[in-house]
Amino acid sequence: MVEPSVIETHVQELRRGTVVLACLRLLVRPGYGYGLLEELQARGFETDANTLYPLLRRLEKQGHLSSEWNTDESRPRKFYRTTAAGERLAAALTHEFGAIAEAITALPQET
Amino acid sequence: MDTTTLTERYLDAAMRTVPEAQRADLAAELRTSIEDQIEARTDAGEDPAAAERAVLEHLGDPDKLAASYTDRPLYLIGPRYFLLWWRLLKLLLWIVTPIVAFAVALGQTLAGAPVGEIVSTTWASTVGAFLLVSFWTTLVFAVIERSTATSKEDLTTPWTPDRLPEPQAYRVRLSDAVSAVVLAAITIGVIVWDQAFGLVRLGGEWHSFLHPSLWPWWSGGAVVLMVASVAVAVGAYLRHRWTYRRAAVKAILNLAIAVPVLWLMAQSRLLNSEPWLAGIPDDGAQVAQIVTILVAFGIVGVCIGDAIDAFVKARRSHRAAPPVSRSA
Repeated sequence: MVEPSVIETHVQELRRGTVVLACLRLLVRPGYGYGLLEELQARGFETDANTLYPLLRRLEKQGHLSSEWNTDESRPRKFYRTTAAGERLAAALTHEFGAIAEAITALPQET
Repeated sequence: MDTTTLTERYLDAAMRTVPEAQRADLAAELRTSIEDQIEARTDAGEDPAAAERAVLEHLGDPDKLAASYTDRPLYLIGPRYFLLWWRLLKLLLWIVTPIVAFAVALGQTLAGAPVGEIVSTTWASTVGAFLLVSFWTTLVFAVIERSTATSKEDLTTPWTPDRLPEPQAYRVRLSDAVSAVVLAAITIGVIVWDQAFGLVRLGGEWHSFLHPSLWPWWSGGAVVLMVASVAVAVGAYLRHRWTYRRAAVKAILNLAIAVPVLWLMAQSRLLNSEPWLAGIPDDGAQVAQIVTILVAFGIVGVCIGDAIDAFVKARRSHRAAPPVSRSA
């Protein structure tokens, strides 16, 4: 039997890249940190605040996201939006993910 | 309990290590995020103070969060430079530590320090050299790790198959065995000639270089040990490989030569001091002593080098050949 903590580690490893893809696809419509966190969780992408925020910064630095402060509401929020480069990256990642899923399905299975 | 205090303190702690330029932007975003998360919890009916505490606890160590924001490594030497660091450190330690040990021991002996002091000083200096080399090498690599973290440049050269160790190096070469025999034969010849006729001509007379009382038992013993040592080298050649057992035998034989040499040096019985006293009236005793020490350390150095060489060859043989053919 595999320890639950061991499974957890591997699952996290497997999910790591998928959060990037989900962010890029979701932020086609502008979104801010906490709202995105909730949406990710609602859609089944388990993410922590302390992984998401640095991730958004990194994607912004790489030019895949752009950001803008919105001060209309009581709480000023930084809104992120996927750039053209980000959309190309998302397309490439989505294609790759499909290929991986296919390859995994084709693997021999224990019956 | 003041609800702003804890969040305020958290933000302060997190921004401390963030570069000035990003600080305001990051702090504002992080503050909004914390407030959003607290609000979500209080909306669900949680106590505000407990909600704040829970949110901050979930965010974790502020230094760690700040490091992930700014892509700062949380390790001393990462996987990119680890192998380079490790190889260089091993190489430097193998070179520097023995040299320091040998030099300090030689210097102390020349200065006429008592045996206990020679041993303790040599040990302290060797440990010190080990620590210094380790520290500075690691420090340099930690700096490289940090200074090249953001830029794309890479100091490591890409690995190619050309860098694999030479496989033929383990084959025991005939030249090694021949040179061992020739060197031993010359040494034995010199010892016998020296004790029988003398090698040093001073004051119109031939004197022996080695102490006369070494003949015949000490000199004879040295000859026997050298013959045995050569036999091990020849045996390795005939069997086409060095083994750890052979290397150990060679090390013991070398030890059996080195230890008596040091003991004889301490007893002033290694070299014949008479020609020095006769030839150099003023400082003869001192010159004799210094020459004795140099000769003794030379012999010990050769013994150590030879033993290490045997182990290096054994390791190469061990790695290169499968253990199936490991018959002694």
